[in-house]
Amino acid sequence: MSSRASTLVRNVWPPAVFGVLFLALWEFVVKFFDLKPYFLAPPSKIWQKFTENFDLVWGAAKVSGTNALIGLLAGALFGMVMSLVLSRFRVLNDLITPLAIALNAIPIFVLVAVLNNMFAITSEVPRRIMVTLVVYFIVLVNVAKGLTQVSPTHVELMRSYAASDTQILRKVRIPNAVPYLFTALKIAAPASVITAFVSEYFGGSQNGLGSRIASNIANSKNAVAWAYVLGACLLGLVFYVISSVLEGVSTPGGRAKRSQEGR
Amino acid sequence: MSAIEINNVNKVFNAGSGNQVVALTDINLSIASGEFVSLIGPSGCGKSTLLRLIANLLEPTGGDIVVNGKSPKQARLDQDYGMAFQQSGLFEWRTVAKNIELPLELKGWDKAKRHERAMEMLELVKLADFAGHYPWQLSGGMQQRVAIARALAVHPALLLMDEPFGALDEMTREHMQSELLGICRASGTTVVFVTHSIPEAVYLSNRVVVMSPRPGRVTEIVDVSIEGERSDATRDNSAFFKGITAVREALRGVEMSDHVRGIEDR
Repeated sequence: MSSRASTLVRNVWPPAVFGVLFLALWEFVVKFFDLKPYFLAPPSKIWQKFTENFDLVWGAAKVSGTNALIGLLAGALFGMVMSLVLSRFRVLNDLITPLAIALNAIPIFVLVAVLNNMFAITSEVPRRIMVTLVVYFIVLVNVAKGLTQVSPTHVELMRSYAASDTQILRKVRIPNAVPYLFTALKIAAPASVITAFVSEYFGGSQNGLGSRIASNIANSKNAVAWAYVLGACLLGLVFYVISSVLEGVSTPGGRAKRSQEGR
Repeated sequence: MSAIEINNVNKVFNAGSGNQVVALTDINLSIASGEFVSLIGPSGCGKSTLLRLIANLLEPTGGDIVVNGKSPKQARLDQDYGMAFQQSGLFEWRTVAKNIELPLELKGWDKAKRHERAMEMLELVKLADFAGHYPWQLSGGMQQRVAIARALAVHPALLLMDEPFGALDEMTREHMQSELLGICRASGTTVVFVTHSIPEAVYLSNRVVVMSPRPGRVTEIVDVSIEGERSDATRDNSAFFKGITAVREALRGVEMSDHVRGIEDR
């Protein structure tokens, strides 16, 4: 345990020092070249605005964060259910997986504009649907892979035990897909926050982090906009850390650990 | 009573299509209860296919197979056999004990009984201290011992093994061979064992079935008569070397008809 703690310290201090130096350089450049606040605000000013406007940033973060969280949960749920259905019916899999990958490749953000027309102007639903869609595809593609790409030896063994397809699903395919699900969530968690921000650029209530950043920049309140950017970074980080911690807790036998030790 | 009867069995993959492959032709083989029989031959001779036909993981194109007096399918459904592969095939999300319990779980055994049997099997392969470990914490040889313990967990009358020691180093392999013989002697299990190695086949078997490829068929069945119980001393026995020579000559007949890959002459 203590060796793990010391590893943590050893892994943390180089990027921490680098981060502090970077901020110092930023501050220095702004002061030294006397850059105008509308061009680039210094970190000290951003921090000051962040603390001054903390309640506003926090409120906006709650709006965007709630949208991201609801979308993340709904998307993960739909993605898991759909991948189970697809793994069960291979014909559907052949039909839908290419479509899912193709849809994932196009910038489906623009859909939110269409969705905004379908709901009330103050509704958060279009943004949540947007996040759900993005997360859904990430989870679907990964979990479907985990359910189908099982070791042939495992399947032969299960057949030699006279196991039914349902038993193979429960005892082999689903456990095999668990690490794939957490990989998907690790990608999907930051993506859900980004999607929630970007969705706010397409109209609707001006209450989230994304719309605050846009409106403050429009009003040349550069430092305040940066304060909201800081809030957005922190929110994304929180989502990422939670998904990483969940991964560590819920993979039995530490398969993640094994892959680290293997190296 | 014979444990396995194979009569005029053929196997054709992709029958009727452009890439049709005749894997096995006209296989006849009778294996007695308690016998240890190895299948040996170059790659592509159909030895693994034959093992999978016995296991009912594949269906023969023609001919019939009787396992324990039943159809292979019934024998599979009754879990009459245990199976082990070159890859140990352990489930990495299950502990060693839970891996061994899996076939019992599928048979519907209750938890206490399952655990008791798993511990009994772990004693047998001398891994009782590792019950709570995960497979990745074990060496390759230990993983393979767990796989064998799992194959034997239902106390099957028949053990089907597809190059189970193929991925192990020579020393571990010889050790595992002796252990396998000891286990089978104690339990009276019939074994069908697919291998690439001539000494392995001779050391383990009562009979060695030599097969040849394209199309896969049995070219010769070599009786190995080594007096007394087999042990590491057997490997210096003249009867052992005689067996090796006999199998090698049978395989040479195969070699002359076709170039041979994958036979280990060690």
